[in-house]
Amino acid sequence: MQEFILLGVLVATYLMVIAKRVPALMKSFQYQSFFLSLMALSSGFIEKHADLYFIAFLIVVLKVFIIPRVLYRIAKKINVDENLGLFVNVQLSLVIALLLTYYSGTFAAILGFKHNFISLAITVAFSVIFIGGFLMISRMKAFAQVVGLLVMENGIFLFASSIYGGMPFFVEIAIFFDVFVSVIIMGLFVYRINKFFTHIDVGKLSRLKG
Amino acid sequence: MINILPKQLFLFDPLSFFFLFVILIVSLPSAIYSFGYLKGEYSPRKIILAQVLLIAFILSMVLVVTVGNVFVFLVFWEIMSLVSYFLVVFDTKHEKSVQAGMIYIVMTHIGTAFLVAAFMIMHKYANSFDFLAIKNACLIMPLETKNIIFLFLLIGFGTKAGIVPLHIWLPYAHPQAPSHISSIMSGVMIKTAVYGVIRFVIFMLGASSCWWGILVLFLAIVTCLVGIIYALMERDIKRLLAYSSVENIGIILLGVGLAMFFQSKNMPYLAVFSLIAGMYHLINHAIFKGLLFLCAGSVYKATETRDIEKLGGLIKNMPQTAVYCLVGAMAISALPPLNGFVSEWLTLQAFFLGVLNVSGGVKLFLGICASLLALTSGLAAACFVKAFGITFLGKPRSHHAKEAKEVPLSMQIGMIFLSILCIVFGLAAVKIINLLSKIAGCATGIDIAGMSFSFNNITLTAQMGNGIYLSAPLLMLSFVALGIIGFIVYRISARPKVVIYNTWDCGYYKLDSRNEYTATAFSKPFRIAFSFFLMPYRKTQKIRESFYHVKSFAYETHTTPIFKKYIYDPALNLVFKSAKFMKRIQPGSIHLYLSYIFVTTLLLIMFVKHF
Amino acid sequence: MEKLLIVILQLGLFIVISPVLSGLITKIKNNIRMRRGQSVFQPYYNLVKLFSKDEVISDTASWIFKVTPIIVFSSTLTAALLVPVFIFSAPLHNMGDFLCLVFIFALGRFFLALAALDTASSFGGMGSSREMFISSLTEPVLCLVIFAVSFQAGSTDLSALGRMHVVSISSIIAALALFLVAIAETSRVPVDNQETHLELTMIHEAMVLEYSGRRLALIEMASYIKQMILFFLIAQIVFPIALPGFGSFTQILFWSLQYLARIAIIAIVIALVEVTVAKMRLFRVADFLGFGFVLGVIALVCAMLGV
Repeated sequence: MQEFILLGVLVATYLMVIAKRVPALMKSFQYQSFFLSLMALSSGFIEKHADLYFIAFLIVVLKVFIIPRVLYRIAKKINVDENLGLFVNVQLSLVIALLLTYYSGTFAAILGFKHNFISLAITVAFSVIFIGGFLMISRMKAFAQVVGLLVMENGIFLFASSIYGGMPFFVEIAIFFDVFVSVIIMGLFVYRINKFFTHIDVGKLSRLKG
Repeated sequence: MINILPKQLFLFDPLSFFFLFVILIVSLPSAIYSFGYLKGEYSPRKIILAQVLLIAFILSMVLVVTVGNVFVFLVFWEIMSLVSYFLVVFDTKHEKSVQAGMIYIVMTHIGTAFLVAAFMIMHKYANSFDFLAIKNACLIMPLETKNIIFLFLLIGFGTKAGIVPLHIWLPYAHPQAPSHISSIMSGVMIKTAVYGVIRFVIFMLGASSCWWGILVLFLAIVTCLVGIIYALMERDIKRLLAYSSVENIGIILLGVGLAMFFQSKNMPYLAVFSLIAGMYHLINHAIFKGLLFLCAGSVYKATETRDIEKLGGLIKNMPQTAVYCLVGAMAISALPPLNGFVSEWLTLQAFFLGVLNVSGGVKLFLGICASLLALTSGLAAACFVKAFGITFLGKPRSHHAKEAKEVPLSMQIGMIFLSILCIVFGLAAVKIINLLSKIAGCATGIDIAGMSFSFNNITLTAQMGNGIYLSAPLLMLSFVALGIIGFIVYRISARPKVVIYNTWDCGYYKLDSRNEYTATAFSKPFRIAFSFFLMPYRKTQKIRESFYHVKSFAYETHTTPIFKKYIYDPALNLVFKSAKFMKRIQPGSIHLYLSYIFVTTLLLIMFVKHF
Repeated sequence: MEKLLIVILQLGLFIVISPVLSGLITKIKNNIRMRRGQSVFQPYYNLVKLFSKDEVISDTASWIFKVTPIIVFSSTLTAALLVPVFIFSAPLHNMGDFLCLVFIFALGRFFLALAALDTASSFGGMGSSREMFISSLTEPVLCLVIFAVSFQAGSTDLSALGRMHVVSISSIIAALALFLVAIAETSRVPVDNQETHLELTMIHEAMVLEYSGRRLALIEMASYIKQMILFFLIAQIVFPIALPGFGSFTQILFWSLQYLARIAIIAIVIALVEVTVAKMRLFRVADFLGFGFVLGVIALVCAMLGV
């Protein structure tokens, strides 16, 4: 059962990779977060931890509804072109994403886990992290950086919750609040960057160098 | 890091006491002088800051020479450098001060880096930072390590002392600092570097190879010559004094180098004798250079300019300052019977005794070194004839010089004290040498029980020479007695009277200050004689009204600063070029920076199995 | 007591006899130029004349100008006391040695150069600039000569020089170098011409241009005494005769006569050189004294080799 949820997370991540416009990226992110919350629920059900239910609820509220709404609103306000500038085209991105997944699979093998559920979970978690990082690198708009960071945080949570049944409760709450606040701040920044430079193409900030 | 905090913080042996004495003897008059000097120059709050920094500076130097632990030594060394940096850039309105401070702080930190390296190597062998523990460990160190430590220490302390080619900061930093600070920096701070050399090389490492002494001698004699030749070319009075400090550090290091050389050849009497010569010149230089910088400060305060080409005739308006400056100039030109003469005589005598007693080809090297020392002493006399003559004598060359007024008594007290010390240290040479022999014996670890350096209370002698004597008080006595005879001879011819009239003007009716000799003209023969080294060049500009009539003609003559041009500028260019090359990894793209992190993480993960 | 007698005798000898030396050189030069020339005692008449003349002092001059002649005179006389004439040890040999002599000359020169700058005249500035230039170049040569000669004699004390009685190759070469230095220090052709007052050519004369009357007389006497000291040093190196301890009056007379004879020979050589050689450009003096430096090095090497 949990394998299917993990598969869902992975598929949502690939959907993010092939997204060419901002709304598509957001939607895939919402799907990924939804599956993540299902993962947390099922873990909670299996491990019988009460807090995991609460965390799953938090994930749904925050990452599926609130944060995407905040980001949508900012996108509307700055009225920017919906195209996510791609450094690496879709096909190549997909190949790289597959390679990263393979890489995280070998990493799981290096860590010493044989073919079982845990190695699958590690594979998926690390591939989510790497693909989040890859998103930050290969997309021009500042939005991609924000979303990439959120994806990486998702991946870390996935890793932690599948191995250990979740991190200590307070750590989870703290991380959630951190992420929430950082999204607000990043949103502000994107707004500011746009107001100043009239675009959010991070590639054009290259004149700030030593 | 276990042994940083020392069991015994201070090491009060005679060498430290000697340097403590040197520091105090120059800092106290300068501090008294500073009250009068700073009064009109800066706002009261800035004056308080200046005095606080001065006290911190003196305190840091006192602690540098008295601590007994290498780590604490380094800490106070750094504090001393930093406080003096703040004092150099004190006059922040001038762009030159800031530039001078920058050069100073970079050079002194390069030196400190070498010092840290040397100290770390010593710590590795001694497992402790204490001086005495390191001294014991140095007995068992292998020779190659000792060589490396010696070279690092030489570069480190040489940067602070001003050995050529590391002297480049001295002529920038010393003129820009306020005058009392220049006098302390030039008189005392560069001597703490010599303290470092004596303490760490002679006392701790023990002079083991004879090439150490020869290297120090070679560097010292080059320093002497370079310093005095550049001093002769200068027209800024404080830069002239700064270059002259470089020269005198060379003379001090000649004494120290000879001591190292003789000690490695197992000639204890000569080693102690040369070290006495070096230390005597050290304290003499502190006194007369301190005095000269204070006089330069008085001149600057009275006339607002440091350019001697705009001064002249100050002896009429500032008679007392002129007397102190004359005493200082006589002392630095090694004229009998003042203190500079005694210490130069001792250094030359040390060379001669070396030539007599050492075997091998080194004799010729020592003889030529001694003759080059005599050359620098002649050039120094020429330099100070120029400095004193053009500044104080003749007709005033500008409005500022005409309107100069004598400085107040509070500033004169420091100068009076130092001039009296110049004379006393010349006449009381024997007593001082007996004291210095004990200090030299302690520093070199040689027993001085059987050695004698004086014949009776007024005559110096070298035990190993046959019948070489010097007596400064007798000289003074004979000068005075024969001078009285000359005066009597002068007076007995009755009747002739003295008429005061214009200087002889070949019949031209209006001689003024523009007909006087200038400082540049005074040093022209030297510029031509040493042109292979100075590489002077000139720039001329003619403005014509017509083919026949030249309206104005501008003539500039410059000397090429060869150290700056051929060593430091290429080095700086290399540093800047490599920095520009490294800039290529920073194109400003955030994606590139993120990908650096990403790829590094991926690679690290690949190698995780090696951890 | 005998020491005091020797001191007074030596001072008297120097003060009284040194002008004759200068007169001798001038007489020989003039004779070679096919003239009768002034009498050998002319310098005495000049000094007497100067003592009875008024002085004119520039209004720009300060106390340094007025004090310098006395300092120059007393320092040169002190140097004269360091030189052994009658007995092998100089009367005040406890006071200093050969190196000290060099510095004492430097004292006189320093003040003379300052006094020249004091009058704000271009001649004075020129003279002091050139004089300091030449003197700073003679210092290394002097130092090497001192080292070479003292190496042979065993110590830098002039008494050891007085005890020397062998001529060796190194002492001859050292004497040659000292000869070059003496030409420079006593301002003789080829370095400087004492008979001219043209600004392009005078060095020592330019420094004392503003002096007149009694002060000029003191400076002239000092330059005669310095010349005599330098000639004595050359003579003692080239014709070394070991001087004895203190003896009777006839012995003193004999030794002073031989002393004068040796110096007279040197004076004749100098006069011949002055007449036959032309004066050099100022900047060639550097080469001239560089040659002296090389001679000094050779002398030192020969002394070390024991030749």
